[in-house]
Amino acid sequence: MDGQAYPNNGGIPTMAFTCTAEIVGTVIEVLVAPGEHVNAGDPLVVLESMKMEIPVLAEVSGIVTDLSVTKGGKVAEGQPLLVILDP
Amino acid sequence: MTTQTSQPRTAAETAREPTDARDPHLRLAKLFDPGTLRPLSTRDAVGASVAWGRVQGVPAIAFCTDGSQQGGAIGLAEADRITGAIDLAVLEGCPVVGLWHSGGAKLSDGVEALHGFAKIFAATTAASGRVPQISLILGPAAGGAAYGPALTDIVVMAQKGKVFVTGPAIVRSVTGEEIDAEGLGGGEAHGRKSGVAHVVAASEDRAYAHTRALTSLLGDRRRCEPSLAGAPHRDLRELLPENPRRVYSVHPVITALLDDAGEHSFEELQPRWAPNIVVGLGRLAGGTVGVVANNPLRRGGCLDSISAEKASRFVRMCDALGIPLLVIVDVPGYLPGIEQEWGGVVRRGAKLLYAFSEAVVPRVTLVTRKSYGGAYIAMNSRGLGATKVFAWPDAEVAVMGAESAVGILHRRALAAASDEDREDLRRRLTEQQRDSAGGVGRGVELGLIDEIIDPRLTRAHVASSLAEAPGRRGDHGNIPL
Repeated sequence: MDGQAYPNNGGIPTMAFTCTAEIVGTVIEVLVAPGEHVNAGDPLVVLESMKMEIPVLAEVSGIVTDLSVTKGGKVAEGQPLLVILDP
Repeated sequence: MTTQTSQPRTAAETAREPTDARDPHLRLAKLFDPGTLRPLSTRDAVGASVAWGRVQGVPAIAFCTDGSQQGGAIGLAEADRITGAIDLAVLEGCPVVGLWHSGGAKLSDGVEALHGFAKIFAATTAASGRVPQISLILGPAAGGAAYGPALTDIVVMAQKGKVFVTGPAIVRSVTGEEIDAEGLGGGEAHGRKSGVAHVVAASEDRAYAHTRALTSLLGDRRRCEPSLAGAPHRDLRELLPENPRRVYSVHPVITALLDDAGEHSFEELQPRWAPNIVVGLGRLAGGTVGVVANNPLRRGGCLDSISAEKASRFVRMCDALGIPLLVIVDVPGYLPGIEQEWGGVVRRGAKLLYAFSEAVVPRVTLVTRKSYGGAYIAMNSRGLGATKVFAWPDAEVAVMGAESAVGILHRRALAAASDEDREDLRRRLTEQQRDSAGGVGRGVELGLIDEIIDPRLTRAHVASSLAEAPGRRGDHGNIPL
């Protein structure tokens, strides 16, 4: 998850953290929705890989946006899953 | 600071009264136990100081480059002083700690400065595996001053530490890439991306505390004393989820098995780089142990190219320095993928096989939940020469998970079954497969597992195995794999 200035926030500078898949796998659960507030450490998405259920955890607290995966979808290692805006 | 305090100070000495936080004598004093420092170099124009002292009671030698003079630049005189410190540590058989703050070679010394760095590298390599070598990076460590620490066993970075071969200005002029010194070679870069830093500390004080703890762990190699393993502890299976597909952090398992010494009970190395394998040092029943553990929380605990390399270097360091190993196994296998294959999972995975096979220190394996396939072999299996292999009840050791095996072995039968019978058949076959091929009982029959142990007695079993094994030590250096 890397922090970058997020461009589309009405001119207010905001840090955006892109959460990526750390392992190739299938999305078996999406636990958050866009606009939802999450705390650092919260599970966001659960991937299945190597017969294991692997949660993707929030590294920062903030608002979920740009959610780009759905249940059942395949993800590659490093693929962006969603963005957390750190207000 | 002089050893002859009765003599009047000269004007030059008074002028050099250490008020600058980068003063090497102030820095060395922070490393050693109060009142134990004995300077081994005089205060002069040479920008490196050497001292002897104790670190948590352990005798050690340390050198520090002088960040208050020319940015800590190193010429031949500084290099000679540093190599002298390293050579002396080898003679004394004690750890050597390098405190680094240096922009690199002293330009005014020309090629002689490069030669000086070469001598530091050769001395560090000659001492590798013979005495523990720890580097603490307090400021910039550029060029040769980056490689000096990189050749040692452990690199600790303070928050102002920055390590790079060429700095941001040269990077910009050659490649056009824009980055500041912190981004290029700070704690995030080396703690997470490159793996150069073993410990990234949040403050300078924390950096000294980690360096002191690690010096003591590596320098004071008492053996395990089984009587110190204590009474039976709680059933550590409580720390594992009931559902075998669920992941969990292995850290609470590690801390429960090690002696409780507060915040420095487990000095984890490279925690944020290849976090699917955990390596670090602690004490178990009083003796220093190196821990290697799969961490299911990250990447499901799979071994992969980088994590295999991380563990290999750690295993070889422990073997060279005579530190016994505890290997905690819960691994679903090697991670498949093009990136892995092209990233050299064969070459780097081979390093881990080599490191364990070569190791002569006592090394005990504990299978907590599962150990599958090639990763089973790599995690200090019996065949690689483990001193002892223990397993908790219900652990599974197999070529692959029973479910996957059934899918392959009984593909036709499953396809032929009616839709309503299929899941039932799969369940029965999986049960059978688990009993016949994967159950821990089969591993015991074959002699691949020595004993199924009561999880409440894990500390006692590990401590007595480590104590009973001959205290041998590998005869090799610790190449920074």
